[in-house]
Amino acid sequence: MGDVQKKIENEVVQLKGTQKEYQKAISTRQQLDAQLNENQVVKDELNLLSEDRKIYKAIGPALIKMEIIEAKQNVAKRIDYINKEIKRFDEIILNLEKKQDGHRETLHKLQQDKMKTSLKA
Amino acid sequence: MSQIPLEPNAQQIDLTTLSLPQLTQLKQQLDQELSLFQESLQSLKLAQNKFQSSGECLEKVTPESQGKSILVPLTGSMYVPGQLADTKHVIIDIGTGYYAEQDIEGAKNYFKRKIAFVTEQMEKIQVIGLEKSKVRDTVAEVMELKMQAQTAQS
Repeated sequence: MGDVQKKIENEVVQLKGTQKEYQKAISTRQQLDAQLNENQVVKDELNLLSEDRKIYKAIGPALIKMEIIEAKQNVAKRIDYINKEIKRFDEIILNLEKKQDGHRETLHKLQQDKMKTSLKA
Repeated sequence: MSQIPLEPNAQQIDLTTLSLPQLTQLKQQLDQELSLFQESLQSLKLAQNKFQSSGECLEKVTPESQGKSILVPLTGSMYVPGQLADTKHVIIDIGTGYYAEQDIEGAKNYFKRKIAFVTEQMEKIQVIGLEKSKVRDTVAEVMELKMQAQTAQS
């Protein structure tokens, strides 16, 4: 009886931990989405500009002059990176979902066990 | 336990088949979504205002103001005198730390484009929000009915 109770508590703790991780992964994923959107907007904007336009990149409080081609390349690289990160997090989220379901299932089983034993007693 | 509500693809759920706690949860979720929409609308409005005032500022930058003296803010409370050297170009923040030099016409177009984009997003959100609030009202109605039925039984 106490054994089952302990197992249940342990399972609950683990489930809560997984849920926290899950929430964190979700919010990171949302941030990545926002970043991707912003970069996409910048890319579109750069594409609208002619080649001889001056581009500046803010590094800290200073604006550094840059070639538009370089800026385009940088943004493209950034988008690539973010896309990879998004894929990575999608996988992490999927795994955490599975983990949560697993915890829920064992928890459910343990609770049923507990019910049975308490009925017998 | 916070279960993820049952609706991702199953659009058609007969609300009357749900139990009261389920309905409450559904309503809570809808309320949350609605307030998120409200928030988004507000920040979009803010962005829209910023673009609008930036666009209006451009009206003041004309070739006639070339060489006129201005006060340049170094901090919020300290200014140094300066002169407008170039009234044909401005530098715009296009996001993620990139700034692009634009002529006045281009800058005006930029802001017009941005305002149109933001307005479009706002309209989209408003439509979704309206639909959601309709669903929420229906859920509230069904809840009301269920509660009445329960009190009638007891």
